[in-house]
Amino acid sequence: MGFASTIKVPFGPQHPALKEPENFIFEVDGDTVVNVTPRIGYAHRGMEKAFEIRTYIQNVYLAERVCGICSHAHTTCYVQAVEELLGVEAPPRAKYIRTIIAELERLHSHSLWVGIAAHEVGFDTLFMYAWRDRELVMGLLEEISGNRVHYAMNTIGGVRRDLTPELVAKTKSCMDAFETKSKHYLRIMQTEPTFEKRAAGVGILKTKDAVELCAVGPTLRGSGIKNDVRADDPYAAYDEMPFNVISHEGCDVLCRTLTRCEEMLESINIVRYALDHMPSGELRAKVPAAVPAGEAVSRVEAPRGELIHYARSNGSTKPERYKIRSPTLANIPALCKTLIGCHIADIPIILAGIDPCFSCMDRMVFVDAKANNQWIWTMQELRNSKK
Amino acid sequence: MIAYEIFQLLVYPGIFLLLVLAFFYEWIDRKFFARLQNRYGPSYTGPFGLFQPVADFVKLLSKEDIVPIACEKAIFSITPILYFALPLTALFVIPISGQTSLIAFEGDLIFMMFIFTLIVVMVFLAGWGSANQFGIVGGVRAALQMLSYEIPLGLAMIGPAIAAKSFSISTIAQWQSQNLSWGIWLQPIGFAVIVIGLLAELEFVPFDIPEADTEIVAGWRTEFSGRKLALFRLGRDLELVLAAAVITSLYLGGAQQLGFIPAIFTFVIKTVFVVLLFSFLRAVFARFRIDQMTAGMWKYLLPLAILQIILIQFGVGR
Repeated sequence: MGFASTIKVPFGPQHPALKEPENFIFEVDGDTVVNVTPRIGYAHRGMEKAFEIRTYIQNVYLAERVCGICSHAHTTCYVQAVEELLGVEAPPRAKYIRTIIAELERLHSHSLWVGIAAHEVGFDTLFMYAWRDRELVMGLLEEISGNRVHYAMNTIGGVRRDLTPELVAKTKSCMDAFETKSKHYLRIMQTEPTFEKRAAGVGILKTKDAVELCAVGPTLRGSGIKNDVRADDPYAAYDEMPFNVISHEGCDVLCRTLTRCEEMLESINIVRYALDHMPSGELRAKVPAAVPAGEAVSRVEAPRGELIHYARSNGSTKPERYKIRSPTLANIPALCKTLIGCHIADIPIILAGIDPCFSCMDRMVFVDAKANNQWIWTMQELRNSKK
Repeated sequence: MIAYEIFQLLVYPGIFLLLVLAFFYEWIDRKFFARLQNRYGPSYTGPFGLFQPVADFVKLLSKEDIVPIACEKAIFSITPILYFALPLTALFVIPISGQTSLIAFEGDLIFMMFIFTLIVVMVFLAGWGSANQFGIVGGVRAALQMLSYEIPLGLAMIGPAIAAKSFSISTIAQWQSQNLSWGIWLQPIGFAVIVIGLLAELEFVPFDIPEADTEIVAGWRTEFSGRKLALFRLGRDLELVLAAAVITSLYLGGAQQLGFIPAIFTFVIKTVFVVLLFSFLRAVFARFRIDQMTAGMWKYLLPLAILQIILIQFGVGR
C-alpha cells in the first residue's frame, strides 16, 4: 500500500482568509505547495452585459458599482472612454478634482490593505488601528461628496461637485493628520520583527516573472519595475503633478507592503499639490446623449494596479460592447506563480499580497475546449438558467 | 467535617469559584485586549459587559451539536469533556484561598506538568478525531508546538522547586513568603521563560499557530459546535486561570495572607496581573510560522531556561 505523495487542500470559496468567494485548490507536499489551481467566477454579476442595456449616463452609476473600494477609479476610466468617443475633454478644474478624489481613494484603499495584511499574519492590533485611521479619509470623502464609498463625483464631461474653500482647508488638515499615521504604519512595517519574519522573503515574484506574467500595480512595483499609468500615460491632471513612482527591489510581500505604505505618502503630497494649484473655472463640459460610432480604450491606475476599460459604440445611446479588465485579474497568473513553493501558513499573506478584489474581476464566458469554440449567453438564456 | 470538605470541593475554593474566576478572567482578557486595540470589547451584558462570557457559554450550550459522519465518535465526544476537566483538576493542587491547596502532596508540581501535556494531547486528539483537513493540520501543529515549548516550560517550573527544595506547589509558595522574596526577583530569566511557554500553551498570539484563523479556519476546533465548543471555550478559560495561578504560585509568592487582607485577594490580584500581561503580549505581536516558532524555542528559549538552572546551581537566586 502506498500513500499519495501530495494532498489537496481547498481554500475557499468560503474561507476566513478570503473576504470574497473564490476557490484555490492547493496541492501540498508536506508543508510545501507544489501546485495551485485557481477557480474564479464565484462572484460573477453580469456587469458587462448590464453595461450594454443601459444608456451612457446610466452606466456612470453602474461603473461606480463595479468595485466597492476603487469606485472612483472605475468611473474615471469609464467617463474617459466615453469622453474619448465623444471627442470632448473635461475642464481643468474637473481634472484636478478627479485627481484629488482618486488619490484620497488610493489612501483609504491602501490603509485598508495594510489592515488586511496585518490581519492575515495574526497582527490584529495593527488591523484595528489601520481601519480606525482609515475613517479619517472616509469621513473626508463623505464631507466632499456626501458618500463614503460611492462618491458619484464623475460624470461624462467633468465632475458633479466642486471643492469649496472650506473643504480645501479641511482636506489639508486631514492630510496632515493622516501623514503622521501613515508614517507610523511605514515605521511599524519596517521595524516590527514578527511582521518582518512573516513577510520578508515570502511570496517571491522575480522581476522577470512579474513582467512575463503581466503583473500590475504594487505587485509589479514591488518586484522592482517602475510602472505606473499615472506617470507613463498620464490622465486627469497627473501630467502636472510632481510625484515619484515607488518601487522596491526585494520582490517579496514585505516590498509590496512597503511600496503601498510609501505610495500613501506620495498620494498625500499629490493631494496637497493639487489643492494648492487647482485652477478655477467650469466643472463640466456639455455633452450630447448619443455617442458617435467608434472604439475607445481608457487606462487608469487604480489602487490595485492598471485598470483597462474598453467601449465600442454603434452610434446609439447605449454601448454596443463594454469590457472591463480589472487589475486583480491581471495579477492572478503572477499570484499562482508566487504561491508555488510556499508554506501553507504563508498562503493567506501571499494571497492578500496582490490586494485581491475578486468581485470586480469575475467575468463569464462559455468555452468548449475540445471543439475550440466559445459563446455568450443572451439575457433570456441567463434568466432561464435560474430555474 | 465531610460536609465542609464537600463544600470546599464544590464551592469555595473549589469548582464554583474556579468557574467564576474562569469567566471573569475571560472578560478581563477580552476587555483589556479590546481596549488595547482601540475597541470597546464586551459592553452589553451586565455592568461593563461582565456577564458576556457567561452569556456566550449559555448561548453555545443551546446551539445544535453537529457530529460529522466521518469523525471518530468516541474521541470526538470525550475530548471536550477532558479538555474542560483537566485544567480544573490541575487547579486543585494550587493554593488559592490559603497557604495550602485543597490537594497537596510532595510531587504535585510534576502532576501539574503532566496535566499541561495531557491538555495538548487532548487538543491533538480533538483535531485528529474530527476528520477535517483543517482540524488535522491544527492538531498536528499543536503537537509540534508542544514538542518545542514543553522542555523550557518544564525547566522554568523546576527552577523555583530547586530553590525551595520541594516538588510541592504549596511548599514552593510558602517558601517564597517565608523567604520574603518572590521567584520573579530571584529568577527573572525563569519568569520570562515561563510566561513565553504558557503563552504558547494557551495558544495566544504570537503562538496561536494551531488555530490561526486566516490559515486553517479554527484549526483543531473547526468541526466542534454547540455544547462541545462551549466546553472547549470554558476549558480554555480554565487553562488561562491555571496558567495565571501557576505563575502566581511559582514566581509571585502565591496566595499570601497580608495582615487583614485574606489570601484569596492577593491571589486574585496577582493572577489578574498575569492575565493582563498575557493580554498585552498577545496584542503587540504578529503570528509566527510553525517552523519559526519551533526554531526560536529550541535556539533561544531552551538555552535561556538551562542558563537559569545553571545559575541556580551556582547559588544565584535561591
